[in-house]
Amino acid sequence: MIDCSLRRFQININLGLMLAMFFCSLFARAASVDKYDPPTLKDWTNIAALPDWSGSWNPKITDQDMQQKTNPPPWNARSAATIKFQYAEEAAGRPTPLFVNCLPEGMPSWMLISHNAMEILFTPGRVTLLGESDGNRIRRIYTDGRKHPDDPDPTLHGHSIGHWEGDTLVVDTVGIIPQSLLAVSEAEGVPSNGDMRVVERIHLQGPDILADDLEIFAPNVLTKPWKTTRLFFRQRAKKYDIVEGICLEGSYIPKIDKNGDAVYEQIQYDVGGNRTVTNK
Amino acid sequence: MITFKATKRNLLKLVFLTSLMGTVPSFAHHSTTMFDHNKSVVLNGVVKEVQWTNPHVGIFVTGATQPNEEPAVWLMEMTSPGNLVRDGWKRTSIKAGDKVEVSFSPLRNGSKGGALKKITLIDTGESFTTNIRSAERANLE
Repeated sequence: MIDCSLRRFQININLGLMLAMFFCSLFARAASVDKYDPPTLKDWTNIAALPDWSGSWNPKITDQDMQQKTNPPPWNARSAATIKFQYAEEAAGRPTPLFVNCLPEGMPSWMLISHNAMEILFTPGRVTLLGESDGNRIRRIYTDGRKHPDDPDPTLHGHSIGHWEGDTLVVDTVGIIPQSLLAVSEAEGVPSNGDMRVVERIHLQGPDILADDLEIFAPNVLTKPWKTTRLFFRQRAKKYDIVEGICLEGSYIPKIDKNGDAVYEQIQYDVGGNRTVTNK
Repeated sequence: MITFKATKRNLLKLVFLTSLMGTVPSFAHHSTTMFDHNKSVVLNGVVKEVQWTNPHVGIFVTGATQPNEEPAVWLMEMTSPGNLVRDGWKRTSIKAGDKVEVSFSPLRNGSKGGALKKITLIDTGESFTTNIRSAERANLE
């Protein structure tokens, strides 16, 4: 009788422990999904096994130029008419001012048409692209296993999640603001008008050439998904480090005010975008 | 970077320069077909001011494109500071007061401005170019 009670007591204890461990594990799992656990030495060591993408990367602009002819997007009829008009305008010396407002070029135009350098940082659970323009553009690519939010807040760069397949970073981007342009040059492009998704496979094509294989799903402006590749050159010399690139700086004139302080004065433009003479 | 001292005279100059920029677009990330790349014009003059700023560096040169032409202020536009550094420029490569010869693609609308192709310092013979497509290779020195 005593033995039996003792045994039942032990079973209860064991059950209790198991239940406690189960709930603890649930709690621990929830914490790692919603919060950043402190990175471990192993997390940092794992980064050393990733491919070397250090240095700064310059876009191959001549290839961007060429692909306008060799691999144009499958524009739908409405977009094709706009693009045709924009090419005619550019040929006539009136380039359409698509990116003159100093907003970031956004996704996917940054990857497609940028003339400026970028750098790529690896940290545990994250890849970050930092660009040299627009006020220092940035892409955050989460590689910590998270999913996209059910209803992401639309942004110019969208919500990006990534994972590594060998030495290739596979990135999926959604939640791109409909005003974000799908552009093939600084003067040819259309608003993506929503529902855009971009899948990228970023990998080294040679020791110092980075390739971004893009597949762009833009159902409101394309007849089918568009595949294209963009190339970037590596610079290792530190003198080519990314520098601050604040686009809006060009809209101000440094001056000394009446108090002797160094200040910026906003340049005034007319409706045609030209500097006006009233800036006194 | 403007090389600029806080004197009334310089302030007046700046206002004057600004008024001359009336029809010169100075936008971000624009195509450059407002410049006629099939034409090349040579300007001889003195640098008034260098704006080493994003998104496009600008150099103001007082000079003439013909021997008997009245000197005027011309705005030469270039790419970003970061891209110019990769082409061998420094912020201080060209300074106010430098005597220069500039070859450029002129604005199609006839305004006194253009896309700078090459600038040569008369005193030293040193020259700088601005073709961002010319440095498309890895590991530049």
